[in-house]
Amino acid sequence: MSGHFVKAADRGLAACHSCGKVSPVKLEDCPRCGSRLHLRKPASIEGTVALMLAAAALYIPSHILPVLRTTELGVVIDNTIVGGMLTFWQSGAYPIALVIFAASILIPLLKIAALSWLCLAATGKMHPSPEKLGRVYWITELLGRWSMIDIFVVGILVSVLQLGNYVTVKPGPGALAFAGVVVLTMLAAMRFEPRLLWDRLDEDAEAPATTHESSPS
Amino acid sequence: MIKGFSRTWRAMLPWPRPRGGTRYSACHFCDTLHEFAPLEEDMAARCTRCGAVIYQNRPASLARATAFSLAALLLMALGHVFPFLTMDAAAMRRELTLAGAATALIDENAPILGLSVILFTMVTPVVLAGGMIYVCLPLMFGRAAPGAEFTAKWMSRSEPWNMVEVFLLGVIVSLLKLAKVAEVGFGIGFWSFAGVMLCMAGAVAGIDRDELWDRLEVARS
Ligand SMILES: [Zn+2]
Ligand SMILES: [Zn+2]
Repeated sequence: MSGHFVKAADRGLAACHSCGKVSPVKLEDCPRCGSRLHLRKPASIEGTVALMLAAAALYIPSHILPVLRTTELGVVIDNTIVGGMLTFWQSGAYPIALVIFAASILIPLLKIAALSWLCLAATGKMHPSPEKLGRVYWITELLGRWSMIDIFVVGILVSVLQLGNYVTVKPGPGALAFAGVVVLTMLAAMRFEPRLLWDRLDEDAEAPATTHESSPS
Repeated sequence: MIKGFSRTWRAMLPWPRPRGGTRYSACHFCDTLHEFAPLEEDMAARCTRCGAVIYQNRPASLARATAFSLAALLLMALGHVFPFLTMDAAAMRRELTLAGAATALIDENAPILGLSVILFTMVTPVVLAGGMIYVCLPLMFGRAAPGAEFTAKWMSRSEPWNMVEVFLLGVIVSLLKLAKVAEVGFGIGFWSFAGVMLCMAGAVAGIDRDELWDRLEVARS
C-alpha cells in the first residue's frame, strides 16, 4: 500500500486475466469465466527471462543464416535480412531500407533490452520512474508484431518467384530462426507482470530511504 | 408483458450492470483498486494512479462490434478469392493469393513458416471477427450464445496474434523488391485486406472487454 492508493492484492482481490472481474483470490477460479485467479502472474520474471534468452540466442543465427536461397541458372545466391536491407539502401530506396532495419534488426534488440530493463526494475535492481516504465512497457507491447514483416516477405517471394526452371527461390533456415525470435519476444512480453513494478515502487517507498545495508527480509 | 420482452429491452440499454453489491475494478497495469462507477457514453475511466484506461463506454457497442466484424468477414472472403499481388514477367502472368503464399511455403519445406502465416493472417482474424459476431449478435437480443464465455476468452487470447496490418506492409515491401525484375501491381485482395484491417480495428475498439463480459453476465442471470 502506498499513500491513499489501495491495491487489489492488498485486500486479497484479484482481477481476472481474461474477463477483468475482480474477485477474492481464495475462490481460485473466476466466477464469471472460469479462468484461474492469480494476484500476480506466477513465475513471471523467470518465464520472461527464459523466453527472452531463447529469443536472444536465436537472434544471432537469424541474421547469419540465409532467409532466402535463390537459384538462378544453377548459381545459388544466399540472401540474409541485412543483405536485403543493404540492397534497398544501395538502390536508393531509403524508406524501405529503414523499415526493414527497424522491423528486423532494431525492434527485436530494443524489445530484448526493454524487457531486461523491466525485469531488473521488477526485481528491485533498478529504480526508474513509473512514467518511464509505463512508456517502455507500452512500446514493447506495441512494436513486437511488426518484426514479422520479413517472414511475410519471404513467403510472398517464395511463392511468386517460381519462374519455370531458370529461377527458383526457397526459404532458408534464417527465416525460421527469425520467426522464432518474433514469437518468443511476443510471448516474453505477455509473460511479464507489470504490477510487480508497482509492488517494488511501494516497497521502496515504505523502506527508509537512508539505509544502505541490506534490508532484513 | 410479452415473454422475453424485458430481456431484449435490457439488452438495448447502454451497459447494464450485473446484480450484486459494490463492484470493484482493478487497474491491469498497477493493480490499484477502484470502485466501479457507471460512465457516460464515449467516456473512458482512467486509473487514478498510473493513468491507464481501465474501461470505456462505447456508444452502440454491440451493434458497432457486430457490424464491423461482419464487414471484416465479408472482406476477408473477398481477399481470399482475389489475388493480392499480380506480376507480369517474361510473358508470364502470376497472381498470388494469401492461401497460395502459405501453401508455397509448406511445399518448399518450410511448413512451420507456412502454418504461422496461416495462423497469423487467416485463422486469428476469423476467430476474432467470427467470435465477435457469435457473442455480440445474440447479446443484442439479450441472449448469451452457448459457449459464449469460452469464445470471448479465446478472442482476447488471439487478439495480439492478428497480424493483417503487418502482412500488408510485407506485401508493399515485396512489391518494391519485385518491381526491379517484373511488372507488379496490387490486386483486389490487397485492398480487401486493407479493409479487413480497418474493420478489425473498428470491431475491437467497438466494445470494451468489461462491457462485453458484464452484458454476458446480465444475459446469463
Ligand atoms: Zn474471469
Ligand atoms: Zn493503474
